[in-house]
Amino acid sequence: MKRVVVTGMGTVTPLGGDVVSFFAALLAGRSGIRKLEAPWAGSINAGIVAPVSEDIAGHFPKLKLISLDRVSQLSLLAARQAVAQAGIDFSGAHGEHCGIFWGTGMGGASTLESAYNDLLIHSAARLKPTTVVMVMNNASTGQISIEFNIRGPSYTYSSACSSSAVALGEAFRAIRFGLVKAAIAGGAEAMLTQGVIKSWESLQTLARVDAEHPETSCRPFSADRSGFVLGEGAAALILEEEGAAKARGATILAEITGYGNTTDATHITQPEASGQARAMRLALAEAGLMPEQVDHINAHGTGTRAGDLSETSAVRQVFGAQAKRIPICATKALHGHLMGATGAVEMLAAIETLRTRIVPPTAHLFHPDPECDLDYVSEGPRQLAKLDVVMSNSFGFGGNNAVIVARRYS
Amino acid sequence: MNSLQTVQQLLVEEFGLTPAQVHAEAALEELGVDSLATIECMFLLEDKFKIRFPGGDAVVIKTVGDIAREVDSLLAQQANAPAATDKPGHS
Repeated sequence: MKRVVVTGMGTVTPLGGDVVSFFAALLAGRSGIRKLEAPWAGSINAGIVAPVSEDIAGHFPKLKLISLDRVSQLSLLAARQAVAQAGIDFSGAHGEHCGIFWGTGMGGASTLESAYNDLLIHSAARLKPTTVVMVMNNASTGQISIEFNIRGPSYTYSSACSSSAVALGEAFRAIRFGLVKAAIAGGAEAMLTQGVIKSWESLQTLARVDAEHPETSCRPFSADRSGFVLGEGAAALILEEEGAAKARGATILAEITGYGNTTDATHITQPEASGQARAMRLALAEAGLMPEQVDHINAHGTGTRAGDLSETSAVRQVFGAQAKRIPICATKALHGHLMGATGAVEMLAAIETLRTRIVPPTAHLFHPDPECDLDYVSEGPRQLAKLDVVMSNSFGFGGNNAVIVARRYS
Repeated sequence: MNSLQTVQQLLVEEFGLTPAQVHAEAALEELGVDSLATIECMFLLEDKFKIRFPGGDAVVIKTVGDIAREVDSLLAQQANAPAATDKPGHS
């Protein structure tokens, strides 16, 4: 078995367009949730989202944009940052032994919705010739391969909210088992379109707007929670086999040591604590760790009642008496629910937590819920003297649970 | 090539190429205009000139000038048979 290390990270989120600004915003408790700005905003009940506010398209030449949906643009920007930090070069024969593992829930949702509008509302006789290659869920994967000349295996995972956590986990396994030497892994989502938001609205999972402080509307583990806020973004990690990373003198940010993936097989949307607990146990088992060795959990923490109670119960099942000792944070309160991207974004946050030994707060936890009685770090960022092992939970509609464990590299 | 200037202007405005790049002999592939971008270009020209490219691979288009020649040819056919563009077959 190979050891798997992280040598580069990149992200574009509602909290900032790079790792440093993203993590600084988490520690500062700055929310990326804001009023929806769109001509059709009046049709949305909640009217708040967590958008990426910086210019994204401006990073690409016009000719390239012909075939890049926003999701692929976000993917490429995150991947560029990660590759730059890692200082890795995929050209030459090396690129044949490297892979791409990418997650997205809805792929090129914006292009698809535009196409339907053109066809059904505006009676267009034909659609953009690049519609298919912009919409397909593996568009980002293909675009990343082209930009970085990666020619080994490529996989695109779509398991709703756990998509990019699965991508990271599968990349970890591929390197661990010697199938590839390095990988770009992560995911992206860009689905803040009218049709998609209306669809989520109907599921009754979106947060009610706090009229006075809309940016605090997402409140994981708080008794007054009412759901999550849809967001967009991307995160990419460079995973490498330890020996290859060391041989080229790379700076190692963390080591991925375990991955658990389970399926509830109970309900298409309702979370199931036992399935989540099994995923955590599997990740710990692969990492060769006992529950008491975990120093921090980045929770899935969506801010729905069902999700909060289920995850709290699952943590209790796995960690027993230790559960209340572990500082847990739910960063979705600030960056929103980035769907297919959220697992990678939160894993990145967990690794920054590992590196800095500072746990970001669970923001907006104004009213403790007696049924959620763990340590959610609601008071603000917390510096820990010992923080060597982190766990990141991601649970998706469809019943998929993906858990990743990382540790300080030594 | 009566339409050359319009084709060049479109390539500059829509694809971000420079006027110097889009001379008549410039190979589309070398400009980064791949097969999908070429179709995008043709769709834009169809709207601009109210013409319909026949589709398929009967016409070989490799340079900027090839596009303009094809537009000119279709415009000439249209002038000779105005009803031709109303025929179904390309949508």
